[in-house]
Amino acid sequence: MSESSIARDAILHAVRAAQPPSVALPEVQTVLAVRARPVGDPVARFTAAAQHAGARVLSSPRDAVPDLIASTFPNTGRADSELFVCEGVLGVVENGAIWLSESRLERRAALFLATHVVVLLDTSALVEDLHAAYAQLDIASEVFGMFMAGPSKTADIEQSLVVGAQGPKGLTIVLRTPSDSDSASGSSSRPPATRATP
Amino acid sequence: MTNDVIDHATAASQFIADEPRTDWHDAALWWVREKRDRAASELPEWEALRELASGVKEHTLTHLADYLERFETEATRHDIVVHWARDADEHNRTVHAILAAAGATRLVKSKSMLTEECHLNPYLIARGISVIDTDLGERIVQLRGEAPSHIVLPAIHLRKEDVGDTFHEHLGTPAGLTDPDALTAVAREHLRGHFLSADAALTGANFLIAETGGVVVCTNEGNADLGMALAPVHIVSVGIEKVIPAVEHLPVFLQLLARSATGQPLTVYTSHMHGPRDGQRMHVVLVDNGRSAQLGRPDFWRSLKCIRCGACMNTCPIYRRSGGHSYGSTVPGPIGSVLTPGLDLEKYAALPFASTLCGSCTAVCPVKIDLDAQLYRWRQLITDSDVAVRGRAHSMGVAGAVLGRPWLFHAIGSIARLALRLMPRRLARATAGVWSRSRELPPPPAQSFHAWYRASRRELS
Repeated sequence: MSESSIARDAILHAVRAAQPPSVALPEVQTVLAVRARPVGDPVARFTAAAQHAGARVLSSPRDAVPDLIASTFPNTGRADSELFVCEGVLGVVENGAIWLSESRLERRAALFLATHVVVLLDTSALVEDLHAAYAQLDIASEVFGMFMAGPSKTADIEQSLVVGAQGPKGLTIVLRTPSDSDSASGSSSRPPATRATP
Repeated sequence: MTNDVIDHATAASQFIADEPRTDWHDAALWWVREKRDRAASELPEWEALRELASGVKEHTLTHLADYLERFETEATRHDIVVHWARDADEHNRTVHAILAAAGATRLVKSKSMLTEECHLNPYLIARGISVIDTDLGERIVQLRGEAPSHIVLPAIHLRKEDVGDTFHEHLGTPAGLTDPDALTAVAREHLRGHFLSADAALTGANFLIAETGGVVVCTNEGNADLGMALAPVHIVSVGIEKVIPAVEHLPVFLQLLARSATGQPLTVYTSHMHGPRDGQRMHVVLVDNGRSAQLGRPDFWRSLKCIRCGACMNTCPIYRRSGGHSYGSTVPGPIGSVLTPGLDLEKYAALPFASTLCGSCTAVCPVKIDLDAQLYRWRQLITDSDVAVRGRAHSMGVAGAVLGRPWLFHAIGSIARLALRLMPRRLARATAGVWSRSRELPPPPAQSFHAWYRASRRELS
């Protein structure tokens, strides 16, 4: 037997011998039942939460997004080290975070190495809180998934907030609204990597 | 590392010798506590969340072995190699063996209190591995040869001038540069070089999900993600108490964790790993190191519910005014004083006494650990044991002798009331011992409570 499997059996044995009398698993529903009733426009509340986390939030019809990025970052190359643009899966109104997953990132490291990150998110992809987000996502279906709320930050020197600690120094969220052509043809973005709601 | 008995009072007296620094430390941590209060008040369901989180943790701990096995099975399905380590030494040997097998010599680490607890860095450095702590606060204390003084804010004991001096010495910044933005920018470039050349990354974990075999890491700087996204080997060092049953429990803990820690609704990065990226190897080392023993202590097993938010430190009047290093323990503050005596009672016997038992820690704990009750319980056990806390056993003996003899108690009371009126202030304060070193004594009452009570009863009848 390897050292690790000896350790494994010893730990599991010690844990079983030590476990206090069984406590039942409480229902998460107990909290969902007393959640605050959301008030106001979700897009406005998401925008406020994301700004509070340090992100810049822009809004654009879907077909105008490339022009918006070009005019917002006129002299920025699309090299990984400068600007990285990616698609968000969903946004959380409660905290302004966006779920990103491996399949929608060309190279994960670029998300952290870039000086500025732009995330594109459909306004239809907003959910109220983290409970709703996890109910919709299938987090185990990809090797990497992440909630990102604002640009990288630290307060490790005298509690002074410094944005751009190690990852991006800026995060811009572009909230996409349907284009006129979308409503005409009824087309939508590619299907999100979420599991069907039962 | 030292095996010396921790003397919290003496260590704290060294910290508070610098009064402006103590006041700053006190105020900075209270500010973080106030941010926590504001963030908590934004969720009307906050108390229900705490109750639920506590219940989920208690359930998990009472079925811990089953959940660990489930995690191992699911993680293995995701090509994560799961290792087990009974103690610090076994953990360190396991990590070194993984690095050696991969031929890795340059390790970047993100925040992991467990590796501090296991003293991993000196172990690896002695074996020729370059170890770089990449969290800014941890890098600062690593350059200074210190340990973190707080589990969330590792360099909270330092002023920006201290950081400026450290960076001047080690990173070549101009002497006198103390601007946090400028210093952070230098650290960013310095650490980027290490990220890009590392051949292994080690992270801690905030949560292990038994249902899916996933690992969740929460950070603000992005350093853990830079390491994981770039290095060919990813090692997760994690205590066995970090497992939670299912994905549906994650939002419960995430809603509590960052709000309790720093007042943020969520950390900037909350990363979920279900396997290595293409071409990477991923390892999880599950560590016991005293946790199963703590689980077996009926009075203290609930301390394992801790999610390491640090709120109990930020609110503690003793921690704020004595500094994390005075505890001589990887996890300082109220939760450290409950966890650490279980590892070595003789060494850490002073820690449960480094508390006013005001209960503020219990009031803010997001998983409702009854910290003040556990501190009090440790005191009872320590007082009943052979472990002597310096000066305390003697004073307790005297108190017992006096309180057990009413005639002696009354006599001493009379003498003290008279003496306190007559003695010069300095002499009176010196007589009153440690308590009066930085406090004024109250004016002595004219009579004892006993005498007042008898007199008032006469007036009434």
